[in-house]
Amino acid sequence: MTTLDQIRPKIKSLESIPAVPAIVHPLISMLQLPSDKIDIEEVVKLVSYDAGIAAQCLRMSNSPLFGRRNTETVRSAVMALGLKRVQAILMGCCMNHIVPPGKWALPATTFWRHAMGCALVSRKLATLIGYPDPEKAYLAGLLHDLGILVNTIACTDEYRECFRLARENHVALDQVEAQILGLTHCQTGKVLAEQWRFSADIVEVVEFHHNASAAPTAKALVSLVYLSDLLCRLRELGYGYYESMGVDLTGDSCWTILVEHCPALANVDLARLTMDIDGAMEEIVGLVDAVFKGEAAASA
Amino acid sequence: MASTQVAAKPEIDDAKNPAYLKIREVIYQVSGIYQPDEKLYLLASRCARRMAVLKTTSPAEYLEHLTVRGNRDTEMRLLLNEITIGETYMFRSPPQIEAMRNIILPQITKTKGAMGFKRLHVWSAGCSTGEEPYTLAMFLLEESAKQLAGWTFDILATDLNENSLTTAKTGVYGEYSLRSTSELLRKKYFKQFDDKRLQASDQLKSIIRFDRVNLSDDRKMTFCKGMDLILCCNVLIYFDLASKRRVMQHFHSNLLPGGYLFLGHAESLYQVDDRFHLVHFPGTIGYWKPPIGYNGGGKK
Repeated sequence: MTTLDQIRPKIKSLESIPAVPAIVHPLISMLQLPSDKIDIEEVVKLVSYDAGIAAQCLRMSNSPLFGRRNTETVRSAVMALGLKRVQAILMGCCMNHIVPPGKWALPATTFWRHAMGCALVSRKLATLIGYPDPEKAYLAGLLHDLGILVNTIACTDEYRECFRLARENHVALDQVEAQILGLTHCQTGKVLAEQWRFSADIVEVVEFHHNASAAPTAKALVSLVYLSDLLCRLRELGYGYYESMGVDLTGDSCWTILVEHCPALANVDLARLTMDIDGAMEEIVGLVDAVFKGEAAASA
Repeated sequence: MASTQVAAKPEIDDAKNPAYLKIREVIYQVSGIYQPDEKLYLLASRCARRMAVLKTTSPAEYLEHLTVRGNRDTEMRLLLNEITIGETYMFRSPPQIEAMRNIILPQITKTKGAMGFKRLHVWSAGCSTGEEPYTLAMFLLEESAKQLAGWTFDILATDLNENSLTTAKTGVYGEYSLRSTSELLRKKYFKQFDDKRLQASDQLKSIIRFDRVNLSDDRKMTFCKGMDLILCCNVLIYFDLASKRRVMQHFHSNLLPGGYLFLGHAESLYQVDDRFHLVHFPGTIGYWKPPIGYNGGGKK
């Protein structure tokens, strides 16, 4: 059994991640300013300094999932994506660099397909139901499983065992974590999310995305990510193994919570949304594999 | 890890024609069959075949054939035939079989077994040339030594078309129908018919009862009671909304509480029937008739 206090020093050591490009911190600070205070040219300049981040921005802005605009310059990519998406790419970049090559408990591409899938499904669902900030939903979906990376680094061997057991028994990862580690990726993710000063609602998503009704304030956002997470895990965008579950989403308490905030959810054509996710899967897999190719090769 | 490249879609530019989005909506409204954005190129290629017959080159003009011209009903039926063509072969939908094996059978055997009622009734409604009921028969026979030990089970396989039923009863199939059937199952449940075809064994046939049933025939539908599972793939697409609703009413009353209905993988029941609960399984969706007193609960 591991306790959160035993893991805390390891999480603390993640505060400065040497592999994260130097431009990330100034960029994230700048992007958190009110939008009228952000100097777009400065953002373009900073993104251009890092070939990896610039390439990610270009690949994403050229993907059909983001509207496919045939952008060829960093400037046009940043303009096409918008500042919130650039911020999400940077957050993903931070997450990606915290796991050293060879330490992944699951293939890096599997993790990123789920993260990216959940981000896109969260945004799609948010748009469908009139949730006021679809880009926030995208970011929340992308970051919700931060704790999986923490557990991977903090207890690599035990965590590989967790994945093996979850895969062999076709059960949800957090159930196995609770039994083997004594804590879940929700708890450890919260510690790192706070350390990285994520906004309070994103911290709640990281902590409560398996228990949305316990979220103190951001219930709607947490419920939205919870439902998107489940949909992804049921549509081959999960953790790479068969989770044996049948889910009546409309009978779930999170559905009820979200309907209270976004009444349009009650009229969503769930079968059609599911087919849209299936249709987008090939693009998501292609985009993730293109964006994280280097990391995937290193972790294989 | 090998990177997955996005498959080339030669007709994707054609599919960008806005008329195809309208055609998709018309098809969805009429039949409940849906093609996500990423599969519009498939829809475009199906339309192209019909457009060639009609000597029409513009998708906008073809849309008129489907909506306002005198031949619209016939044309819609012919297009739906193109869309669903080649969909019948054994083990066409592995996620459905896995959902039955891992989630549905354990539920049913638990609840019915507890009552000491060890009988299972499955209905393949619109069985066409028999691939679906034979798939179900192989699945149930394989489970008869495992989950269904001590159980009796039977399959009702119905269709409107006499010719299809005759083919189904004969049970002779070539490589196309058997392409997803393993060597082991072929050896166990089929015998050689001629040098290219196999015939279903007597054991396989013995658990299937073939019958001619028109799903619009209220009198006959009333007698198909007590089902645990109904499969009705790509049949309702040819019905108008009122008839669909009547068929769904029958299916609902024919299913036992806790039973499931499966439709074709691109079919939706949105706004057709709200008594069934849509349930997500890994890679597939089903429609569930909740037991009396069910008031939500999410995961099963």
